[in-house]
Amino acid sequence: MATQHSRAAARFMIAPSVVLLLAWMLIPLGMTIYFSFLRYNLLMPGANPFVGWENYSYFLTDPAFQTAIVNTLLLVGGVLVITIAGGIALAVLLDQPMWGTGIVRIMVISPFFVMPTVSALVWKNMFMNPVNGLFAYLADVIGVQPYDFLTQAPLASIIGIVSWQWLPFATLILLTAMQSLDSEQLEAAEMDGASAWSRFYHIKLPHLARAITVVVLIQTIFLLSIFAEILVTTNGGPGTASTNLTYLVYAESLLRFDVGTGSAGGVVAIILANIVAIFLMRMIGKNLDA
Amino acid sequence: MARAVTNKTKAINTAIAWTVGILIFFPILWTILTSFKSEATAIADPPVFLFFDWTLDNYTTVQERSNYFRHFMNSVVISIGSTVIGLAIAIPAAWAMAFVPGKQTKNVLMWMLSTKMLPPVGVLVPLYLLFRDWGLLDTRIGLVIVLTLINLPIIIWMLYTYFREIPNDILEAARMDGATLRSEVIYVLLPMAVPGIASTLLLNIILAWNEAFWTLNLTAANSAPLTAFIASYSSPEGLFYAKLSAASTMAIAPILIMGWFSQKQLVRGLTFGAVK
Amino acid sequence: MGRITLEKVRKSFGETQVIPPLDLTIEDGEFVVFVGPSGCGKSTLLRLIAGLEDVSGGEIRIDGRPATDLPPAKRGLAMVFQSYALYPHMTVRKNIAFPLKMAGMSEDEKKSRVERAADVLNLTDFLDRRPGQLSGGQRQRVAIGRAIVREPAAFLFDEPLSNLDAALRVGMRLEISELHERLKTTMIYVTHDQVEAMTMADKIVVLRKGNIEQVGSPLDLYRNPRNRFVAEFIGSPKMNIVEGAEAGRHDAHAIGIRPEHIDVGEGPWEGKVGVSEHLGSDTFFHVHETGLADVLTVRAPGEVNHRAGDKIRLSPQLDKLHRFDRDGLRIT
Repeated sequence: MATQHSRAAARFMIAPSVVLLLAWMLIPLGMTIYFSFLRYNLLMPGANPFVGWENYSYFLTDPAFQTAIVNTLLLVGGVLVITIAGGIALAVLLDQPMWGTGIVRIMVISPFFVMPTVSALVWKNMFMNPVNGLFAYLADVIGVQPYDFLTQAPLASIIGIVSWQWLPFATLILLTAMQSLDSEQLEAAEMDGASAWSRFYHIKLPHLARAITVVVLIQTIFLLSIFAEILVTTNGGPGTASTNLTYLVYAESLLRFDVGTGSAGGVVAIILANIVAIFLMRMIGKNLDA
Repeated sequence: MARAVTNKTKAINTAIAWTVGILIFFPILWTILTSFKSEATAIADPPVFLFFDWTLDNYTTVQERSNYFRHFMNSVVISIGSTVIGLAIAIPAAWAMAFVPGKQTKNVLMWMLSTKMLPPVGVLVPLYLLFRDWGLLDTRIGLVIVLTLINLPIIIWMLYTYFREIPNDILEAARMDGATLRSEVIYVLLPMAVPGIASTLLLNIILAWNEAFWTLNLTAANSAPLTAFIASYSSPEGLFYAKLSAASTMAIAPILIMGWFSQKQLVRGLTFGAVK
Repeated sequence: MGRITLEKVRKSFGETQVIPPLDLTIEDGEFVVFVGPSGCGKSTLLRLIAGLEDVSGGEIRIDGRPATDLPPAKRGLAMVFQSYALYPHMTVRKNIAFPLKMAGMSEDEKKSRVERAADVLNLTDFLDRRPGQLSGGQRQRVAIGRAIVREPAAFLFDEPLSNLDAALRVGMRLEISELHERLKTTMIYVTHDQVEAMTMADKIVVLRKGNIEQVGSPLDLYRNPRNRFVAEFIGSPKMNIVEGAEAGRHDAHAIGIRPEHIDVGEGPWEGKVGVSEHLGSDTFFHVHETGLADVLTVRAPGEVNHRAGDKIRLSPQLDKLHRFDRDGLRIT
């Protein structure tokens, strides 16, 4: 169908999307990079002089930055480990014959549809609250001191909340991948004398490898930008104990109104995300050819 | 594997799966139940599960105190608006890329996807300042623009993967049968693409409804959708469990139901076709 | 009417030339088969005629009128696709009526034409079903129905039978031939299966790498292949090719002899029987260790029994021998 006429029409139809996305990417990105080299604070109107790498050195040497990087990595890593491990277990479980698969499935995927602010608040107040929360009650029942999750282990608590939100995503994708496995392969393995465990380990798990990679990469993209959950639970605190990179940049820019430093932080976040993105894009690109 | 599974294994599986399922679903269930309790019952010790005086008071209170309905409508307008506009821009583009692929098509698609990888915080500052200068802060229009743009790559990709499954032969057959471009689109392409467009629509409404970075940073009282409105419960109002629950239940119910219907499409949409 | 001429038609995709300049005339009412191995450009050639691809150069005429720049819809041709390309959301009736609807035909006319086509193709009972509810053979017939209602100048078939199972394929082959007998409309048929080509064509066009190797009637190609490629491609099982000293004795670089032109019994050639294929009507022997070629295929009429390992003697029918020179061209 590669006729001249349709080629021209095609370009015309793609143009609006390309122009919009190009503008969306280039204009703010250019501004962020530009601002990152200026001394620019919204609270101090006046000239915004060019200061070279000052914002970067300020942002990168800020102790909060190091904490934020560590927190970001812990948050991403922690959630990934929990959701992948849990997701594989759940996928295997849901793949078994049982009564009411449909309903269990719906229950398991539901957390994914709960908006981040709601899930964070419900967990914070109704479960983790040291006085009236359900966990406090459970602690009471078994006779231990109630634990103040968000004060004593803020980051771990947030990891827990975020894992609850993303576990369904991992489960759903791994389950889909698992069900796409040709059953004849499993039957062949069974004829070859493989036990249930070796069938899982040698056939199902390698088949899932690709889906796991997809889950890791996509979740990483989203997890690097976790924001609402931190905002409504701990505000990054106590201190900077639960501040991640995204929250730190937000705090610099919109709480301290330091546009220059915030922008420098933004550029750092972009670079980090790009490292992950390159791997993800390569995978998806391969799939396009297939 | 078509083989008889003993009822015993099946019963064990069922028991384990239901227990796990209920545990995972419990926070949502608990929120829904609490929304029908009085504030006192909500923090009763020991907690009450089902046997309490069910009341709708919380729902009316939430509405009266904070004009809940307005935030709800903000969410509706913003999520549906951005999705519909996104579809209008994306359908022609996805059609062209799926059916008239050129040498650059793959690169264009990958590039579009890469814009989605841009962390929002990287462009927070300039966008905030631009919106302030253009008077778009705390407006529905502003949010519709932003959400349209951030979800456009996903919309194009989803449509593209659906369109690509429509065999080119069929469109060529229509052309051989004398169809003009217009009738080709109306009589052949659209009817075959409707399911794909519908699931794209559904998934994107869900994503836009739950978007919680830009909605929190670019709105205040006026155009705040439910994500931002609920965030205002972070303290100290959040300690009124019953009201928090009522507000939350209303915020998640419509999307939860839509989500249940779109679980299959979700996988494809969120993995950009990498897992089907 | 449906006389199609191609003058110096060529096609390149970017740098790669898939069809070098090519001339071909298809007479009105002819059943022409394009045949060749996969990747030989036969489908591309068909799509150029259909207008689904632009030519890179040259001229296509349909009934003398230039058609090179006409869109597919304006060429008055109908096409049956390999995948059938039925519209899945329309009933059989609507599928068949679609080209008529596009032509803006009246409801009555549409109805009567669709019913006539359905009658011809035995589809009357299925008119209100969707393609998804039909078997492969029925879908194939719907695709043909959609083509014939338009009363086109010519039908184009792109490997229409390759998705059917063997038994159906033979049946449909016959049906298409009968359709051609009845309609007397030009048909251009693309296939990689030389049996289809031999059984259906008035004229076969053998293609290789975009080049026309030979054009002629089935028996013409069978008896007088212009070169080794055509000789080996036409005929089943394949023609035996012998090179070396034996070929030299016939003043050729290579000689070809079809399995049916080698007699079993006495003769100058000797070999050891390998696998025998008993078809009932014929028996094929694979003969090894002849000193001529790795294996010779020999056809013996009826049921002949030789066990594997038996030595047999063979005699080629010398008047049926084909001789080829170093470039593979036939020596006459």
